[in-house]
Amino acid sequence: MQLKKISGQMSLAACALLQVASPVARAAAADNNWQVDSAVLLYSESDGRVSVFEPALQATRTINEDEQIDVSVVFDALTGATPNGAHATESTQTFTSASGNRSYTANPGETPLDSSFQDIRLAGSVNYRYNLDRLSRLTWGANLSGESDYLSLGGSVNFEQDINQRNTTLMAGLALSQDTLLPSGGVPCSLTAMPLASENEDDVFQSAGNSDDKLTTDLMFGVTQVLNRKTLFQANYSYSQSTGYLNDPSKIVSVIDPATGLPASSGFFNTALTRNLPYVYENRPDSRTRQSLYSKIVRYLNEDVIHLSYRYYRDDWDITSHTLDLKYRYQMEGDFLQPHVRLYQQSAASFKQHDLQLGRDVDAATGEVLVDYASNDYRLAESQTVTLGLKYGKLLAANQQFSMRAEWMQQTIQEPGVSESEKTPGLDAIIVQFNYSIKF
Amino acid sequence: MRILFLLSLLPFFSACSSLGVEPWERDLLARDSMQLVPDVMDNYFDEHIYFSKEASTGGQAVGGGGCGCN
Amino acid sequence: MSPLSIEARKDYWHGRFEAMASPCEVLVETGDRTLARSVIETVAREVWRIEQKFSRYRQDNIIHQINHADGKPVMLDEESARLIDFSDQLFQMSDGLFDITSGVLRKIWQFDGSDRVPEQDQIDALLKDIGWQRVCWEHPHLALAPGMQIDLGGIGKEYAVDRGLLLARSITDDSVLINLGGDLACTGARKIGGYWSVGRMISSHDQAVGLFRLIKGAIATSGDANRFLLKDGQRFSHILNPKTGWPIMHAPHTISVAAASCVEAGMFSTLALLQGAQAEEFLQLQQLEYWLD
Repeated sequence: MQLKKISGQMSLAACALLQVASPVARAAAADNNWQVDSAVLLYSESDGRVSVFEPALQATRTINEDEQIDVSVVFDALTGATPNGAHATESTQTFTSASGNRSYTANPGETPLDSSFQDIRLAGSVNYRYNLDRLSRLTWGANLSGESDYLSLGGSVNFEQDINQRNTTLMAGLALSQDTLLPSGGVPCSLTAMPLASENEDDVFQSAGNSDDKLTTDLMFGVTQVLNRKTLFQANYSYSQSTGYLNDPSKIVSVIDPATGLPASSGFFNTALTRNLPYVYENRPDSRTRQSLYSKIVRYLNEDVIHLSYRYYRDDWDITSHTLDLKYRYQMEGDFLQPHVRLYQQSAASFKQHDLQLGRDVDAATGEVLVDYASNDYRLAESQTVTLGLKYGKLLAANQQFSMRAEWMQQTIQEPGVSESEKTPGLDAIIVQFNYSIKF
Repeated sequence: MRILFLLSLLPFFSACSSLGVEPWERDLLARDSMQLVPDVMDNYFDEHIYFSKEASTGGQAVGGGGCGCN
Repeated sequence: MSPLSIEARKDYWHGRFEAMASPCEVLVETGDRTLARSVIETVAREVWRIEQKFSRYRQDNIIHQINHADGKPVMLDEESARLIDFSDQLFQMSDGLFDITSGVLRKIWQFDGSDRVPEQDQIDALLKDIGWQRVCWEHPHLALAPGMQIDLGGIGKEYAVDRGLLLARSITDDSVLINLGGDLACTGARKIGGYWSVGRMISSHDQAVGLFRLIKGAIATSGDANRFLLKDGQRFSHILNPKTGWPIMHAPHTISVAAASCVEAGMFSTLALLQGAQAEEFLQLQQLEYWLD
């Protein structure tokens, strides 16, 4: 027998024999019953668009070898402006904020940004995980998220079964989420005109009620496989079904007079319903089915670790996307550096429409919108996102870790056939995040 | 030739050997940095950011909750 | 079943019983006699259970069934399968030096201090029945070739200490120490004084030669200074190399190792002895605390 260091292997073999989960869990069971993770995210888009301040806290309590519970709280303060769906024109455009009591304008050549975009969100979640037997686990989760105009309530259950001497883990998960939208001023009727602030009192905001709901069901099946001592592989299939109100109540679409290329002039029509075209509220289908295949490889490389993942996504709104994510953890003595690259590409939704044309999409005589669905939300357009980041982490003590990361994200929107001046501009954002975690 | 091919597959189906490692070879896999999601907070924020800026979502896990950002 | 005695000491209760041919002690740092009795009885019952289940001297247990299956596979219960898995891992980690099929060598090697060293042809005859690599172990089915035998004696004591301690921990948070014939482990620091002091013995029935101070974890001792053969001025230790059938030469007489669990401590002290003259070098490599004699 060659002399070699086998203390790590021995400790794992002893743990398997004595059925104590792992050296890590065992130490945790003896000494560390609590783990607290805290983080602050600062997200800032260029050109004075959205900025976010988001602190988060998660406490994990190991009750005993078979039970664990974690509780998270997130606070999210968001301010700034975001494209409202109308596009830039050669003339000044005036809009009413969703609540109907404020107006904002876009100068000629400027992409209209809804500056009333600000919100405070508070969210919390609880997960309780316990062993069903030596090889299987169940996790129950509940989460709640509230904003002034949005409420989300969800629950989930996850089952994991180890087989093949714990080299393979099978996973099945189910989640339900019930979301309620409460736009201030009411839910707009889709494809009806957005009232203009300067118009006369006959202007009517067509409200479909104070609130509307959407229900989302997620199903997921996954396999995690230990390939060898240094490599772990995961593959998941997800299926998600959303039904109900899937519009963004603040997004609109411009109605263009093809003769002038400008928004159809106000008062062009006289029917009550469409009196105030040139902007109509967007409309999306009331159901969406999403499917994705996600795979990930974790590979140990001489103290360093590589995380590489790829996701293929498609939905029945005709959006297909590819996401590639690579993190390389470069391990030094007590600290590490981790470069990160993320590449994302998506195709446009079938009803993504730059604008509605009088005569073609809108009946020029009655003002009736002739298409079923239309949205100019840039998130439904063909786009690419590139993210480059660097993270630094340091072990402060055996039980305390600090890390921070800075990332730069660039999103480009592709709108084929749209003139340069009317295109939705891309997005540059900086992400800075600080983490601190402690075990005790 | 065919038998050779079948024989070469044999190790994959025999009960004595299979894909994976023995319990005492899990030293590296047990490290924090080798977990599927080593940075829970980073993951949470990333999901949140890209959910609000892109059309795709999901893939890694179910549950976690919605928000009005998209 | 051997008797069990419980006595009050200054800061703890002291239980004694015999198991696995060794004196066994359980120390419970509590003033509560009922609690102490319940801990001590639980530990004793567990040690006795393990002794009965895995002793090679009995005819009513799984070891007897495996050793007398005459080549047929035996389906093991979960605990036995875990012990066999562990032995399998040790065999591989030690490159074949730790082998639970090597017990048959005892038929010809008796370490009674005499000069009766067996002949090479006697050894060769037994070697054909030794070798874990020849066993078919497909969890949970174990099949030995006819003539082969397994013996879990090299793991049993340490396993019993760890099991006893796990059960004790489920009853009380007070510090508990188990000492099974020199293999010991405790559940955590004492409230008074912090550590347990335990006599250090170089043979399982001799007087202590020193003191161990144990705060947490386990210490196991392998080797027995009184078990050897002496022929032509050469000392043959009772640690046998399963590959050659001969004793390991130039090994320390006894090795004690401290580790997180008694099983780990015991396996390291055994594997170190199997390294012969390189025992100390092996232990240094593992970065564990150890004592040699």
